[in-house]
Amino acid sequence: MFALQGVSKSFGPIQVLKPTTVEFRAGESTVLIGPSGCGKSTLLRLLVGLVGADGGTIQFEGTTITKANIMQMRQRMGYVIQDGGLFPHLTARANVSLLASHLGWEKKRMDERVEELAELTRLPRLALDRYPVQMSGGQRQRVGIMRALMLDPSVLLLDEPMGALDPLVRFDLQEDLRKIFRTLRKTAIMVTHDMGEAAFFGDRVMMFGEGEIVQEGRLEDLIQHPSNEYVSRFINAQRLPGVQS
Amino acid sequence: MNKVLQLGMVFALLGACDVQSTLADKPRISVGSKAFTESVVLGELICHLARDQGAVADHRAELGGTQFLWQAMVTGDIDVYVDYTGTIREELLAEVIKSGVEIRSEADMREALAKMHVRMSDRLGFNNTYALGMRDATAEKLGIKMISDLRDHPELKFAFSDEFMERKDGWRPLAEKYKLPQKRVRTMDHNLAYRGLEHDAIQLTDLYTTDAEIEFYKLRTLEDDQGYFPTYYAVMLMRDDLEQRAPEIVKSILRLENLIQPASIVSMTAKVRLDRQMETNVAAGFLRDELKLDIPLKSTSVSSEWMRVLGRLAKTTYEHLFLVLISLSMAIVVAVPLGIISARNENIGNTVLGVVGVIQTLPSMALLVFMIPLFGLGALPAIAALFFYSLLPIVRNTYTGLTQIPQATRESALVIGLDRRARLRLVELPLALPSIVAGIKTAAVINVGTATIGALIGAGGYGSPILTGIRLSSISLILQGAIPAAVLAIVVQFGFGWIEKRFVSPGLRTQ
Repeated sequence: MFALQGVSKSFGPIQVLKPTTVEFRAGESTVLIGPSGCGKSTLLRLLVGLVGADGGTIQFEGTTITKANIMQMRQRMGYVIQDGGLFPHLTARANVSLLASHLGWEKKRMDERVEELAELTRLPRLALDRYPVQMSGGQRQRVGIMRALMLDPSVLLLDEPMGALDPLVRFDLQEDLRKIFRTLRKTAIMVTHDMGEAAFFGDRVMMFGEGEIVQEGRLEDLIQHPSNEYVSRFINAQRLPGVQS
Repeated sequence: MNKVLQLGMVFALLGACDVQSTLADKPRISVGSKAFTESVVLGELICHLARDQGAVADHRAELGGTQFLWQAMVTGDIDVYVDYTGTIREELLAEVIKSGVEIRSEADMREALAKMHVRMSDRLGFNNTYALGMRDATAEKLGIKMISDLRDHPELKFAFSDEFMERKDGWRPLAEKYKLPQKRVRTMDHNLAYRGLEHDAIQLTDLYTTDAEIEFYKLRTLEDDQGYFPTYYAVMLMRDDLEQRAPEIVKSILRLENLIQPASIVSMTAKVRLDRQMETNVAAGFLRDELKLDIPLKSTSVSSEWMRVLGRLAKTTYEHLFLVLISLSMAIVVAVPLGIISARNENIGNTVLGVVGVIQTLPSMALLVFMIPLFGLGALPAIAALFFYSLLPIVRNTYTGLTQIPQATRESALVIGLDRRARLRLVELPLALPSIVAGIKTAAVINVGTATIGALIGAGGYGSPILTGIRLSSISLILQGAIPAAVLAIVVQFGFGWIEKRFVSPGLRTQ
């Protein structure tokens, strides 16, 4: 699905991503985990073209991403950010169908697709005609996911999608999101700093530290055979508070 | 567009000069006047004399100042107007004098103006300058004719306007020059000073030599026997090409030379200011008496006062809306794209915001003076000035509205795969709309107020009854301009409230 070859990125003097070569396979869900500033979000933003790489190449479905073709490619990627990133001036329905409508879909086809997605994401029908300010955080996130899925993309990219939600809502949405992943069998790449979430979603977990992938594999492998001190410290730091409380 | 503008200008003609015919073979002449009664009457006199020779005469009455008239004459918007020798020396020839040319006599003045393609007539016959005045009866009793005569009457009480007390050519140097002994001198408002004279509380005050009140209060102006006051003789200034275009008209209007005695101009302004007669009829009456011209008088009582007020309201409202709507629409068309470009490119943005900001700080009078050489008189320069004043609020609010869109929202539009134009149309502009509409509202409200200055350059609107009202001390006329202007500003406020409801997404309002 994605193949990165020696991709690096700096912001000023700081190299946030060291030259990285990695592949994301179709049908697999990968979780990028690590502390803030470790480069995991930057990797996701490189994939969707929100930032350009300093070096290396990124291939999407066999084609190298360039400035010229990124716009087309984005229509085959679904991207979800914290709190949904909804357009405040549009209703939920209009948010979800904005691109489809711009591409000239017929109304009937759009309405059917929106209904379908509302069902999938368990968004109440009433919420469809509300504006973002009138919705709860969980609803906004569901609408964000609907919008990402509208054109039936081949990959879903999620940047801390649960970050802004309180624990109960978060729990519900995690369940639903996993069901969606299972149902659609989509390739998914999710960024989080939460170990529990990583365990819940990831077929494959990539641990980031200081601009590079420190270890990757199944989560159990990371827990049982941490490749170095950094990995075990990150894992323990996340587990300990849970034990104490 | 041009037709509409011409229509606007025709409506903007003030005073009582009509465009009686637009037949091409008739010579046309455009006459200007300043925004005080004496000047308007003189403009009417010129109009009558030109029409007497079959010309079509426009009177661009009540223009806002010497600079406006001069610029309009240079550009050919007016052909002739009356100015004063003192003003010509101090204002129009100031640059020439600075460059080292000596202007000693009126002949020197005439020569300097000729180089600027302007012809100066002989004196019309009166000198409108400062003077000292007493009640005629008192002066007669005491035998005072000249200022020097005051030396023998140290007991007299004087009261002068604030300005006259302070001026370089005011009271103190005057007293020194004439060696006047009076000690009881105080500052007093002009209107109060006239009452004071009437009741003999004071015996002498400062005047303009052509004040209408001179006749009304039966005052005597004392002869300036030592030539203290600078002279302001009225003369006609006209474009030098008028002679070739219409020699018989020039000949006709030059009949005003040496025709208007001080008493005549005083009596004419008094008829307008105190008896509320129309300027055109007063001028016609004078020409009938002096030159035996038969000019039909305008009837003043065809319609009731209310009909006249309503008629004026309709006309000024039309003119005012014309100025505001055209200038505001043009500003929107230009300023919104400028705001969009500014938001996209920081360097361009800084430059654009800087320039429109500087325009905003230009005083309106200065901006109007700049506009006249480019656009002449009437609605066009006023629209241009209003257009420039409307730019800043709209550009700035468009810029702010666009730059304040959160990064996450901006990126969302990008990552769902919208191209640049679609992002602007579907996401960025709708999100910036509340700010843009607020900017347009600010521009519109400022515009409604500022459009009143259009009257200074003959663009009409609510400013013209205000200007005439100030000239004639008529509160009623002033209110006929001021109240509709205030009402219009309120209507604009509410109108934009409706526009916001109608066009701004509810998602942006319920926050």
